Amino acid sequence: MSGVPLRTGACRASILVEGRNLNSNAIGRLLRPILLCCCVAVAPVISAGQSPEPITALTELPSAPEPQLAQATNSSGSQNQNQQKPEPQSEQQPANAPSLGDLGFTPEQTKPNAQLQAMLDKRTHMLKIHQRLGIITTIPMLAALITGPMAHAKGRNGQTIIEPTQANLDFHAALGGATTALYVSTAYFAIFAPKVPGVQRRGAIRLHRALAFVHGPGMIATPLLGAMAFKQEKAGEKVHGIASAHGAVAWATALAYGAAIVSVSWPIRVHF
Amino acid sequence: MRRLFSGHRIYTTVAGMLLCALAIAPTANCQADTQWVLEQSTLTYHVSHPMHQMDGISHAARGKGTCNAGQCYFLIAAAVNSFDSGDSNRDLHMVQVTRGAQFPLVVVRTRVPEVPPVSGTNFVDLQVEFAGQTITYKHVPIQETVNGSEVKIIGTVPATCSDFKIDRPSFLTIPISNEIPVKIDMTWRAVK
Repeated sequence: MSGVPLRTGACRASILVEGRNLNSNAIGRLLRPILLCCCVAVAPVISAGQSPEPITALTELPSAPEPQLAQATNSSGSQNQNQQKPEPQSEQQPANAPSLGDLGFTPEQTKPNAQLQAMLDKRTHMLKIHQRLGIITTIPMLAALITGPMAHAKGRNGQTIIEPTQANLDFHAALGGATTALYVSTAYFAIFAPKVPGVQRRGAIRLHRALAFVHGPGMIATPLLGAMAFKQEKAGEKVHGIASAHGAVAWATALAYGAAIVSVSWPIRVHF
Repeated sequence: MRRLFSGHRIYTTVAGMLLCALAIAPTANCQADTQWVLEQSTLTYHVSHPMHQMDGISHAARGKGTCNAGQCYFLIAAAVNSFDSGDSNRDLHMVQVTRGAQFPLVVVRTRVPEVPPVSGTNFVDLQVEFAGQTITYKHVPIQETVNGSEVKIIGTVPATCSDFKIDRPSFLTIPISNEIPVKIDMTWRAVK
C-alpha cells in the first residue's frame, strides 16, 4: 500500500508498528528528505577529497591576475624594466596570503622615520665632504714632506753649512700652512657630522677614529714646531731644541694620516 | 513484492552512499591549509667596486607561507638595518642610500602551486619591495633540497641599483657596480 499520509510523529510510530509494506513506505518518506540533506551537505566535501588529480585540475585553471607592477625579467642576459610603484601591493594580495603582521614585526620596525632619514642624509653629505677633503689634503702634505729637506740647513759641526734659500723656506711653509688649513676643514666635517644614537661602532671605522688621536695632535704640533724652526732659520741659527723635532713629528703625523685613509679603504683588490 | 524489492534496493543504495560519504568526509577534512614557517635564513647582498668587494649579511629575515586551494603564498621580510657588512659606518651609509629609514623593510612575496616539494631546481616569480620600489623578478631559479618536513632553498635575486632607484655610492670617484645580487639561503618547515 502506498500513499499513507504522515501526519505527526505519533502517527509515524503507529504506522511503524503495522505491516511491512506500510513501514517501508513510511520509512522511505521519512528517510528521503533526510538523505537528500545529507547528500547536499556531504557533496562538496566528497568532491574536494575525491578530486583525483587536484594539482592537474588546478593547473588547468587560469592563474590569478598579476599585480600591476614593474616587470623585471631574470638575469640571464635580459634587461630589467622599471616602473615606479611607491606603495606596497598589499591590496592586491588574496585574503589568505600572509601579511607583515603575521611575521611579528613591531611597529617601530615597520613605520617610516623621516627624521632619521634626514639625519642620515645630512650625515652622508658631510662625510662625503670629509672624504674628499681628506684625500685632497694628502697632496700638500706629501709636497711639504718632499720640500722639507730643502728647507733644512745642511752640514754638521765643523763643515760648511749650506743654508736653505728663502724661496725653499717660504714654499715649504706655504705648503705646511695649506696642509694645516685643509686638515682642519677635513676634521670639521667629521667631528660635526650627525651621530646616529644607539649604533655601536664596528669594523675599520674604529681604527680610523683611533688614528685621529695620533695625527690630530701631530697636526697641531708640526706647524708649531715648524714655526719655531722657521724663526731660528731666519735668524741664521741652526735649528735646535724642540724645534729640531719638527721633521720627525711631521713624518709620524703623515704616516698616521695615511694609515687612517688605508684603514677605511681596506681590503683593496684592484681589478677591472 | 516487486515494489517492496525495488524500495528495499533504493534504501540499501542510499544507505550505502551515506556510509561512503561519512567514510570519505574525514579524509577530505584532513586536507586543511598547510602553513610554512621560515626556520633559518641567510640573506647576502654583494657590492662590487674595481678596488673593493664587500658583502652584507642578514640572519634576521622572517617568513611565512600559507597554502590553500592549490596555491601557496609566501611572504619574507627583513629589516634593512639588519644587514651587517662588518663596518657600522658602511652599514649606516647603506641604510641612508637605500632610504632604509623611510622604508625599513625589504619584503619579498611569491606564489607557487601547491605541490609536494621535491629536491631540484625550480623557477619562481618574486615580487620585491625595497627602497620604496616594487619590482617583480620573473623566472628566478632556486635550488630546493627536501629533508623530511624541512625544505632548504638557495637562490640569487638579480637586483640592481637602477631597479630600485638607488644612487650608486662611489669610492675614489668611481661608483660601485649597478648589480647588487642578493643570495638567499633559507630553511622552511611545514606546520599543519
